[in-house]
Amino acid sequence: MKKLIPILFVTLLTSCLTLDDNLFNNAKLDSYKLDGYTGEVDFILDNSYQIPDSLVSIFTLPSQASGESNATSIYAIYIGDIAKITTDTVIMYCHGNKDHMDFYWQRAKLLANTKSKNRFGVLMIDYRGYGMSDGKPTEDGIYADVDAALNWLKSKGLSNDRLVMYGFSLGSAPATKLSAENWSMKPDKLILEAPFASAETMVQDGSGMAMPGDFFTTLEINNGEKIKSVTQPFFWVHGEADDFLNINTHGAVVYNNYQGTYKEAHRIPGAGHSTIPQTMGFSTYSNVIGDFITTQ
Amino acid sequence: MRFQPITLFLICFLFSCAPARFVKPLQKKEHAANLSLGGPLIKYGTATIPIPFITANYGYGIDSTFTGFAAFNITAALYGNFQMELGATKQLLKQHKYVPAVSITPIANIIYKNKEAKKLYPQLAINAFWGYGKRKNIVYVGVDNWFELASKRQYEIKQKNRWLFMPMIGHSFIQKKWSFNIEAKVIAPNLSNEKLVVDYVTPLKTHGAFGVYVGCTRKF
Repeated sequence: MKKLIPILFVTLLTSCLTLDDNLFNNAKLDSYKLDGYTGEVDFILDNSYQIPDSLVSIFTLPSQASGESNATSIYAIYIGDIAKITTDTVIMYCHGNKDHMDFYWQRAKLLANTKSKNRFGVLMIDYRGYGMSDGKPTEDGIYADVDAALNWLKSKGLSNDRLVMYGFSLGSAPATKLSAENWSMKPDKLILEAPFASAETMVQDGSGMAMPGDFFTTLEINNGEKIKSVTQPFFWVHGEADDFLNINTHGAVVYNNYQGTYKEAHRIPGAGHSTIPQTMGFSTYSNVIGDFITTQ
Repeated sequence: MRFQPITLFLICFLFSCAPARFVKPLQKKEHAANLSLGGPLIKYGTATIPIPFITANYGYGIDSTFTGFAAFNITAALYGNFQMELGATKQLLKQHKYVPAVSITPIANIIYKNKEAKKLYPQLAINAFWGYGKRKNIVYVGVDNWFELASKRQYEIKQKNRWLFMPMIGHSFIQKKWSFNIEAKVIAPNLSNEKLVVDYVTPLKTHGAFGVYVGCTRKF
């Protein structure tokens, strides 16, 4: 027994349990149902937002993060005519932490119909471990996955000046990082909806104390710092009633730390974390996003 | 973004979930080892359960009114954080019939992960307790206080909450060598719990959390 005590002590101190595995709220799918999806969604658009089947493409992409020996197969959905990517403006939509692309399909459709019917191309992916994508979610993996999507867009003829990066919630991390750094493409504009500032801010908001994020997570996501390297025009929208990512401790920090050429803020009274488009009204939401994309 | 509920639960209360250590000091030169289990009540599926935080505690009676102790948070260690409490309980007043005895317990709560991630939280618990019956069982009420020394959070944001208080009530069943303890605590009733993913079960509904704890102590 005496021998066991120090072993137990050392085991505890060097324990490998981590909260990181619990951070990603992904769900697996056997197939994508899109409009036929009957699970929980934030909102459902009426038929005027319908996308013709001919403009919906579901395909896989190989994604390989640095240090990985093999590529991971991830799923992507492109809304628009792939043959016209050479001339269209495309929104790279980085979805949030919840579930999969079926959950975010309505949001992607809304963006595709921004300003007018099927105005913009939209590319959305399921990060590794989400939906039908293989693998397990990791921070580096998510960046690699979005970069794989950018690489595909580039191969289809998209130029940097027609690429708009859009990040919602968790998606604000790859959207900000890939806008700030040199990856396969350099987006021309950055849109963040309900972004979070950092993993540490989440810890501090959650605990109410000024605790180091390292106590709980190895995630290095720090949009509040990374945004300082973004020079492209920046659009921020956040619900004032966001009960998950506080507008002041998260979104406002990202917005205030932006040091680029142009930024605009949209604080939406009464909107929660997942209810910005509904609260604004789909038409208003669509118009302000569209105005930013077309005029900046 | 919606993280899985257990994550934010652990974030929120990993460090504030322990029962009172020694409400009544040990006898002079008396040793005691304690293991306690418990945490805030949350809804988990259809059930309401306390999350089982585990702490181990060792105390020594320096004199009959003053006990020093050290506690080790086993749950924190499982997540790679070294967390230890070093403290002492001093009895200030003796019980006179229905007028309770009073003790105070200052604690240094030390948490260490690495050079960049380390914290010291001073704590101060104040308890009133009554001994009764043949075995001198104890019932106690008190308040535990946590103090945040940092004035700023990440990004130089002002740290609003510098003081967390936790009212509590407990009972110790005293045996000759063993004692068993049960305690209920309202954790941070001054703070809203509405911006957390977890469904805390608390009488205050939108504020704080409600914790229950059990523990056993062996004196020797």
